[in-house]
Amino acid sequence: MGEVEKTFISGLKEKLVEEKVIDESQLDRDFAKEITKYGGKDVMTCLQCGNCTGVCPISLKIDYKTRSIIKYCQFGLKSYTLGTRWVCATCYRCYEHCPADINPAEVMIALRHIAVREGVIPPFIKVAATNLVRYGQSVKPDEEINKIRNELGLEQVHSSEPSYKKVLREIGVLIHASKYDKLIGIEEEVKI
Amino acid sequence: MGSPEPLEKDSVERTPSQGTRDATEPRIGVFVCHCGSNIAGVVDCVKVRDAAEKLPGVVVARDNKYTCSDLGQEEILKAIKEGDVNRVVIASCSPRLHEPTFRACIQRAGLNPYVLHMVNIREQCSWVHAHEKENATQKAIDLVRMGVSKAARLEPLEAREVPVERAALVVGGGVTGIQSALDLANMGFKVYLVESKPSIGGVMAQLDKTFPTGDCAICILAPKMVELSRNPNIELLSYSEVEEVKGYIGNYDVKVRRKARFVHEDKCVGCGVCTDVCPVKVDNEFDMGFAKRKAIYVPFPQAVPLKYTVDKENCLHFKKGKCQLCVKACTNKAIDHKMEDEVLDFKVGTIIVATGSETYVPMRKGVYKYWEYENVISALELERLLNASGPTGGHLIRPSDKATPKRVAFIQCVGSRNKKIGNNYCSRVCCMYAIKNAQIIKEHEPDTEIAVYYNDIRAFGKGFEELYHRVREEYGVEFFRGRPAKLSEDSATKSITIRAEETLLNKITEREFDLVVLSTGLVPSEGSKRIGKILSITTSPDGFFMEAHPKLRPVDTAADGVFVAGCAQAPKDIPDSVAQAKAAASSAAALMLTGKVRIEPLTVAIDEDLCVGCGLCAELCPYGAPELYESEKGGTKARIIEALCHGCGTCAASCPQKALTAKQFTDEQINSEIVAALTPICGAQKPPQKKNAETEV
Repeated sequence: MGEVEKTFISGLKEKLVEEKVIDESQLDRDFAKEITKYGGKDVMTCLQCGNCTGVCPISLKIDYKTRSIIKYCQFGLKSYTLGTRWVCATCYRCYEHCPADINPAEVMIALRHIAVREGVIPPFIKVAATNLVRYGQSVKPDEEINKIRNELGLEQVHSSEPSYKKVLREIGVLIHASKYDKLIGIEEEVKI
Repeated sequence: MGSPEPLEKDSVERTPSQGTRDATEPRIGVFVCHCGSNIAGVVDCVKVRDAAEKLPGVVVARDNKYTCSDLGQEEILKAIKEGDVNRVVIASCSPRLHEPTFRACIQRAGLNPYVLHMVNIREQCSWVHAHEKENATQKAIDLVRMGVSKAARLEPLEAREVPVERAALVVGGGVTGIQSALDLANMGFKVYLVESKPSIGGVMAQLDKTFPTGDCAICILAPKMVELSRNPNIELLSYSEVEEVKGYIGNYDVKVRRKARFVHEDKCVGCGVCTDVCPVKVDNEFDMGFAKRKAIYVPFPQAVPLKYTVDKENCLHFKKGKCQLCVKACTNKAIDHKMEDEVLDFKVGTIIVATGSETYVPMRKGVYKYWEYENVISALELERLLNASGPTGGHLIRPSDKATPKRVAFIQCVGSRNKKIGNNYCSRVCCMYAIKNAQIIKEHEPDTEIAVYYNDIRAFGKGFEELYHRVREEYGVEFFRGRPAKLSEDSATKSITIRAEETLLNKITEREFDLVVLSTGLVPSEGSKRIGKILSITTSPDGFFMEAHPKLRPVDTAADGVFVAGCAQAPKDIPDSVAQAKAAASSAAALMLTGKVRIEPLTVAIDEDLCVGCGLCAELCPYGAPELYESEKGGTKARIIEALCHGCGTCAASCPQKALTAKQFTDEQINSEIVAALTPICGAQKPPQKKNAETEV
C-alpha cells in the first residue's frame, strides 16, 4: 500500500483494500440472526438511507459510520464488525430517526456481546472489568476520586473497611457465578 | 396411521337421524392442492391425502399440482362421477380466491354448488409455517379432518337472481371519477357523480405538468371536465356528500346531501361580478395558501361547474349579518343566503368509489421543519408555484423573500417508506414528480443548482427511466443518496443547510439551499374513510381500500356491485388511475348490461316458533336485514329480508333463543369441526395437553 493510499484509507478499510475481493468464505450468512439473539433488531430490514449516520454525534467527530456497520452486519462480514470501536454512546438518536424502525444502538450493544464472546476485547474494557473485581466499580477509587467526592459532599471510599470487603466478596460471587470472569479472562483475580 | 376411531364415525352416522339433512349418506371427495410449491414446498400433500382417505365418509382423495387448472378441475369432475361423490372438500388456498371457481366446477359435475367446503392450507398453513414443515403437515391434516367433518353436514342451497338498476353512482370527481363517469355515460347508463368540493378536477387540476411527457395537467383534464358537464347521461352533484347507502348489489338506495352553495346553480352564469365586489379575502386552498380568494368564489378559472359558491365560514353575511354586496351586484338574482342543504334520494345498481388520496402533511415537530422554516415547502405547493395559472404565473419564488431560489433541494420519501409513522408503502409518484419538477425548474432558470436527496429512485413506468436520464445528462440535476438528518435555517438569509450522509461516499455532508421541497407521499383521504364506513368496504393495513384480488380482481371490492379505482385503492399516477377508472366502469357496465345478478344463498334462516321478538338481531345487524312484524299467530316476530342479508352471522351468534341459523355455518356444523379438531386420529402424536389433563386429574 502506497503512502497516498495510507493517508486516505486507514483502519477498517485497510483490510478491505488489501483483500480487494470479498469471497464467500468471509461471509457469515447467519450473522443477522446472531445479532437478534443478542437483543438487536433485524438488520436485514435496513434501507441504508444513512439517516442514523447523519444524526450520530460520534459520526460527526470520528470516522465511524453507523450505516456502514449495519451494512457489514447485513452482508455477514462479521470479522469487520468485531473490531468496531466501542464508541457508540447509546444516545438512541439513530433509533429515534430510523424510518425502518431498527434500533442501531442496540445492534451496537449486540455486536459488543458477540465480540466479547469471541474474545475480541479492547484493553480499556478489560481494565474496567478488572476494576469491578478489585474495587466493586469500574473506576478505581483513588485519592483523586475521593477529592471529587469530598467536593460534592459525599462520603470517602476506603477499600480497607470491613463493610467494603463484604460487598467486594458478594460482587466476586456474582461475577464468578455468571462466568463473567472467565469471559473477560480475569479468573485468577476473582477470589472467593 | 391408525384406523378411524369409532367416535368420529359415530358422530357422522348420528346426524342423519336428526332429520335436518337429506337421507343420502355423505360420500365425500377430498382434493389436496400442491399449488406448485406454495403448499407442497412446506406441507407433505401426499401425506395429507393419505390421511384424508382414511377419514369417515371419504370415498375419494386425490392430490393435484394445480387443482384450479383445467386439468385439476377435470380430475375433480372425473372423481365425482366415478366415486358418486356428493360432498366436496378442497384443501388449497383461501376461499376468497377460488371458491367461485370450484363451485362452478362441481356444478358442472351435477352437484349443488354449495356442497363444497374449502380448507385453507395455504394462507393459513403453508405460508405462515414455512419453517415448520412437519407441524405444518400435521396442521393441514387437522384442518382437512375438520373440513371433512363439516362437509358431511353441508346442505344444498339455491341461489336467487335479482334485477340490476341501470344507473351508477361515482363517488369522487378527480380524474378517476371523471373517466369512470364518462365511460359509463358513453355506454348509455345514467351516472350520478358526487364530488364534495365546489368543482370537479381533484388533485390533477392543481398540478403543473405531468410526467414523463410534460403535458400540462389542466390542459388535458379541462376538456374531459367540460365533456362531463355536457353529457346528458351524467348528473353532476358537486359540493355534495354521500350520506347513506342502503341495499345490495343491483339495488342501492343512495342519499346525497347537496350542501348549500347559497348560489342557485340554474341561475348563476359564472360572470364573476359577485367576486369582484366581495370585500372578504382569504387564503385559496386550491393555491395551497399562496394566493387569496374571495368569500364568494370559484376555486380555479377552469372549474366545472362554473358556478360560484359562498364560503359560509368567511362570508360577512353569516359572520356579522350584513354586507350582501354580492346579492346587489348579481344581475341574475342567483345568490340566496337563505338557501339550505338539500337531500337527494336515488337508486343505482352499481357504485364506483374514486375518492382519491391526499398528500401527506409533515409532522408539526418533525425533522424537516415544514412548519417552522418558511422555505421548506411541500411538493404540491411547488406545483402551484410552477403552474402558469398559479399565484406567481409560473415564476418560482421562495416564500421568505419572494426571490428566485438558485439552489433547490428535493427530499424524497417524506411520509412514505417510514415505519415510524406507519406508512410502510412506497407512494409511487414522488420520485417521478420530483424529477419532473427538477426539469421544469431547470427549464425556467437554467443556472439553478438542484440536488435530489433520495434513498432509491423508482423510475418504473413507460418513459420514466428516460426522463431520469435526461435530467441528469441534459440538465445536470444532482442525485444524492442519503436521507437528510438535520435541517437548520440561517436566521438572516433564511437559507437552509441540510446535513446528510452521502451513503455512496460514506461521508457526512452539509450543503446550503435557498429552497427545500419535501416530496410528500400519498395517504388515504378523509373522504375515503367516511365512504368506506358507509359502504362497509374493507381497507388494507395501509388504510387504502382493499381490492377483491390483488391481481385478478383489481377494481372489485368485497362488497358486491361496489368497485374501487384510482388513488383510493393505492397511490398511483395518472395513467394508472385512468386505466383503473376504465376497468371499474367496464366491470360496473357488465353487471348493468346483464340486468340481473345472482345472490349468494348464504343467509340466515329463522325459526319463527323459537323467536320471541326481542329485536336484538335487528339492533345488531350492520345491514338492516332483520325486520320485526306482528305475526298472525300473535306476538312480535322477526323476519330476515334475504336480499339485505350478507350471512355474517352476527344475529345468529347473539340470538338468545337460537332461533336464527346462519346457513353453511350452523351450530351443528361448527360443533362438528370443533369435535374433529379435538379428536386427532390419523397418526397424530398424542397431544401434550391431554397428558397434562390426565396428570391434573
